[in-house]
This record gives sequence, structure tokens and C-alpha cells, in this order.
Amino acid sequence: MNTHPYLRAYMAGVFVPTLVLPLILAVFTALRLGLGAPFPIERFLVFPFALVPTLFGIWNILYLWSHPRTHLPIGLYGAVLPLFGAPIGALVACCLGLVKFGGHAITYFQTIVVPYAILPLFIVAAMAGYYLVWKYIVGSLNRVLGIA
Amino acid sequence: MNEHGRNRTEEDRIRKLLQKSMPPIEAEPEPSRDLWPAVLKRLNEKQAAPPWFDWALLAGLVGLVAFFPTAIPVFLYYL
Repeated sequence: MNTHPYLRAYMAGVFVPTLVLPLILAVFTALRLGLGAPFPIERFLVFPFALVPTLFGIWNILYLWSHPRTHLPIGLYGAVLPLFGAPIGALVACCLGLVKFGGHAITYFQTIVVPYAILPLFIVAAMAGYYLVWKYIVGSLNRVLGIA
Repeated sequence: MNEHGRNRTEEDRIRKLLQKSMPPIEAEPEPSRDLWPAVLKRLNEKQAAPPWFDWALLAGLVGLVAFFPTAIPVFLYYL
């Protein structure tokens, strides 16, 4: 029965983004069309829709592959993902004109200004969120699919 | 050989052919150890409550989002 473990790892990995992304789409559609927020939705969706699920799936495959050697808990392993995902997301956002790097702050979507001073706090928060998601959702899915 | 005897011979031949083509079903071997303790252990693992550290992390995240509500789209972008 223990066949195609990497395929199952990929499926378990993409589960969370696949579940959450329609909600994000709904929120941004409401913001854009309902409240007239100046978010370019079509460009915004490139990273979360095209790259994040793939990142989750590949990261879970790597977890399954490396776990017999590293024995790293899945929560900690997932918490590392933002360190790779955030630069990729920032690069995509920069290429698509979604983000501008100023002298003291980053401006997202032409409206949200994030000072560099609190950026580390946001990264730590992202790592904490990923830790919880990977520990409790992806980890339990891995157990259900018989690969943990 | 009459009709009845011929049918009987034919049935025997078919029975032998079927028995030959289908291997006998062996009895399921017993597991080498008692599996019930493992099942109980797994059930107990599922019921374990999250540690305080995870609750603290969750509270910190909620607090951060409450403190910087305008950053929610940025978090959603990075998921």
C-alpha cells in the first residue's frame, strides 16, 4: 500500500494553499470591486496562485525525502519555508510592479507602507504561522496519507 | 457409459481444471505481535492538546494582525 509516497507528499503539501486561495481571491475581489481598493488583482494573483501551492508541495516532498536523515520536526521544517518563499514573492511582486522599495519602507500595492524596521517582525510572524500550519495541518495530512 | 456417467466425468474434469487454475486460498497468518497497543497509542497521540507554546504563537499572530490590520493583504499575498 505504501506506493507513490512523493506524490502523496505533494498532494498533502498543496492542500492548504488550495483551500485558502479561493478565500484570498474572494477577499481581494471584494476589496477591489466592492470597496474600489487600487489592488491590481490579476498581477497580485500570480505568486499566491501559481507559485505558493507548488512551493508547499515541493517542500513537503523534500521533507519526506530528508526526514530519515535530519529528523527535523515538521513544524520547524515548515517554519523555514518563508525564508525561501518571501524573497521569491518579493521578486515576483517587484517584477510585476506590486512593490516599491523606498529609502525607509516598502510600499505594497501602492497603498500599504511597511517600514524596514518592522519587516523582521513580519518575517518572524510568517514563520510562526507556517510553523503552526505545517505542524497541525500538513503534519496531520501526512499521517492520514500514511507517509509520516 | 450412459448420459449421467458422462456428465459426472465432465463435471469432475471441470472441477479439477478449476482447482488447478485457481490456487487455494491460504488462511490469513496471525500478526506477529498484538497491534491493539499501537492503535491506542495513535489515538492518544491525536487527543494530545497543543502545548502552551503553540497557543502563545497563535495569540501573538492574532495580536499582530489586530495591531497592523493594514498589513493583512501583505500576509495574504505571502500566504
